[in-house]
Amino acid sequence: MLSRTADNLYWLARYVERAEYLARILEATQRLTALPLAYVGESNEWESAVATAGCANAFYAVFPEANEENVTDFLAFSTDNPSSIRSCFEAARTNARAVRTALTMEMWDAINGTWLELKRYGNGPTSREELSRFLRWVQESSLLFDGSAYRTMLRNDAYSFTRLGVFMERADNTARILDVKYHMLLPAHEHVGGPLDYFQWTAILRSVSALTSYHWVYRESLKPWLIADFLILKEEMPRSLASCYENIVTHLDKIASAYGRQGPSQRLARGIRTRLQNSRMDEIFQTGLHEFIQSFIADNNRIGATVSQQYLT
Amino acid sequence: MRIQISHDTIYQYANPPAGVIQILRMTPRNHDGQYVSAWRIDISADCRVDAQEDSFGNLTHTFSVEGPVSELNVHVEGEVDTDDMHGLVRGAIERFPPALFLRETPLTAPDPAIRDFATAAKASAKADTLSILHALLTAVHAELTFDVDPTHAATTAQESFAIKRGVCQDLTHIFIACARSIGIPARYVSGYFFRNDGVVEQNAGHAWAEAFIEGLGWVGFDAANKISTTDAHLRVAIGLDYLSAAPIRGTRYGGGDEALTVRVHVDQAMRQVQG
Repeated sequence: MLSRTADNLYWLARYVERAEYLARILEATQRLTALPLAYVGESNEWESAVATAGCANAFYAVFPEANEENVTDFLAFSTDNPSSIRSCFEAARTNARAVRTALTMEMWDAINGTWLELKRYGNGPTSREELSRFLRWVQESSLLFDGSAYRTMLRNDAYSFTRLGVFMERADNTARILDVKYHMLLPAHEHVGGPLDYFQWTAILRSVSALTSYHWVYRESLKPWLIADFLILKEEMPRSLASCYENIVTHLDKIASAYGRQGPSQRLARGIRTRLQNSRMDEIFQTGLHEFIQSFIADNNRIGATVSQQYLT
Repeated sequence: MRIQISHDTIYQYANPPAGVIQILRMTPRNHDGQYVSAWRIDISADCRVDAQEDSFGNLTHTFSVEGPVSELNVHVEGEVDTDDMHGLVRGAIERFPPALFLRETPLTAPDPAIRDFATAAKASAKADTLSILHALLTAVHAELTFDVDPTHAATTAQESFAIKRGVCQDLTHIFIACARSIGIPARYVSGYFFRNDGVVEQNAGHAWAEAFIEGLGWVGFDAANKISTTDAHLRVAIGLDYLSAAPIRGTRYGGGDEALTVRVHVDQAMRQVQG
């Protein structure tokens, strides 16, 4: 396969995953800000939504302040923001078109249909209700694309590159949530157990669609250290860092055995996975949750660069 | 290096026992320089296998077979990618502080002869721990002759040191006894060793020691080969001595006349090359 093709497949999947993640963030924030102030405290949730999306600099270059209208516009519809939902779908569709022959018909229909449908939303919905519908639709479109890829693609290197894109993006997103919200998860948090925490914790779990599965796994009320454990170390949880790395390693191994050689990406990914497997939450808290997440994000960026150097350029 | 393992442990009972219970420490874990890409345990009898972790962080599998069983085969196979870390063991699971590994066990208790030997080795080297351990490694390797006949699984360091003969397990016990007697934490490692002399079929796994050096962490020393561990070593389980790291321990109800065959196949998988 040409590395250009691999690159397109990888980014196609990454952009679709990113759009879904942005929709989740917006939905969780919208829900949180709809609560009375007494429950959620004085913090500006729209600010942290921008931070979690990782585009604070670009945002404040355009808007002076983070509020519902600005943030929704910037994260969902702005053409100035290269990572808005709209830009993501457009970039995904451009990538898809470049490798049209490497995609199955179902995948192409899914992404092209999404792109056409996006036009119907114009410059953004006029009401909150419509925005909710839009965010649902974004998530459904991503599910449709992901499902088509899963059900129809030949299990070869092309498939592995799309999966790689999905899981790299997902690991990045989960780590970003943890990075912005880590202070809510520290055991020594000053007002532990108040309503504020409860709603913040549900919001974190909701943004990775894990509120129900949390209760299945722990059978307990929400505890910040268990939430951190769930999002970082539980391989059963499909958006946890551990699960993403399980998949990244699997697909890098498949690529390696298909091409008959392995290199720095495989070695690096295995190292990160090993560290996640061998860590325990109490040790992570001891050495510092924030430091752990920061070093994970650095590792994750490094592996993104390594994969792109080894395969995509 | 990609190491391929196939390890059969076959028990044949002339007089079938009513039941067998075993605990296996035969599953390697990942750490820096070691990555398990595939691993499988097959037990020839129908039984329930419970996977757990022991106090040292080794993965264990426990099973019990309802008899009568006339033959039992524990088959382990897998593939592991290794990199040469120059003996350093990093990123592994550490459940205990290093000082725990100063503890004496019956198999590794030093006698005056071993103490003197260790002190002499220490005196011959420079003052730093790493040089002392290398001097000890060379001394143990030179002092003992590798011989599979005179010793068995329960031979102690003292017995083996007295006759100056032993297998990798005995050399490792002696190395550990020496290191502990001069105040360096040391532990037993059971695993596999890929031989570069072309011998693929072996009749036992391998064993070596790890010693703790301030500033470096745990470092592997293979007394039987007189080297620090390399990418040819596949690390499976650790313990205070052979008994706490042994691949298989177990017991049986009744029966007798047990014949044990062990076949270990350690090869290099040629499918991939490092790029």
